[in-house]
Amino acid sequence: MAERLANRIKEARAELHLTQAELAERVGVTRKTVNTVENGVFTPSTLLALKLAQALNVPVEQLFSIEQ
Amino acid sequence: MTQRTIAERADYLSRRRARILPVFVVLYLIHQTTYFRSTANPHPRDVDYLWIGAWMVLSLIMLAGLATKGFWLQSRELRDLIDDESSRAHRLEGLRLGFIVAVLTGIVLYIADEFSPMTAREAIHVILSLGLGAALLRFGTLERRAHRDG
Repeated sequence: MAERLANRIKEARAELHLTQAELAERVGVTRKTVNTVENGVFTPSTLLALKLAQALNVPVEQLFSIEQ
Repeated sequence: MTQRTIAERADYLSRRRARILPVFVVLYLIHQTTYFRSTANPHPRDVDYLWIGAWMVLSLIMLAGLATKGFWLQSRELRDLIDDESSRAHRLEGLRLGFIVAVLTGIVLYIADEFSPMTAREAIHVILSLGLGAALLRFGTLERRAHRDG
C-alpha cells in the first residue's frame, strides 16, 4: 500500500494567523515551497521539516505523519 | 532592501520564470524544426553558420540557466531564496527527464539512420535540442504547477 506524508501545516499556520508567505519568510524559502509542502505535492527534507515545525511552534512529529 | 521585500521579489521572479519558461522552450523547439529546412544542406551559406552559432549560444544560455540558479544579475541572497528546496528538486527532476529523452532520442536516431542517413552534426543538434528542451520544459511546468496550487 502506498504511503504518503500527511501534514497539519495549514491548521498550525491558521492557529498562528500566518499566511503562506509569512511562514515562508520565517523559514527562509519561497511561498511556492510552503504551498507545495502544505498540499502534499512536495516532500520536504528533514531540515525543512524541522524548520517548519520550529517556525510553527509544534513538534515535528505533530506536524507530519505517515498516511497509508 | 528589507527581508520582506526580498521574499516578495523572490516570489515574483520565480513566478515570472515559471510563466515564461514553458512558452520559451516551446518556441525554442519550434525554432529548431526550421533548422533542417534552412541549414541542413551539404553546402552551408554564411548565414547558416550564423544560424547555428545563434542556436549554440542560446542552448548554452539555457543550459546555464538550468544548471545554475539563474538570475545572474540579482543579489546572492535573492538567488539563494529563489533556488530553494522545491526549485532544486524540480531542477533535478527536469535534468533526469532531459537525460532520458536525450538517450532515447539517440537510440531512435541510431535506428533511423539505417533508413534515412544523417550527419553527426544533425544528430547532435536533435539530441541536444530535445534533451535540453525536455529538461527545461519539465522544470518550468513543475515550477508553474507549484505556484498555481495555492
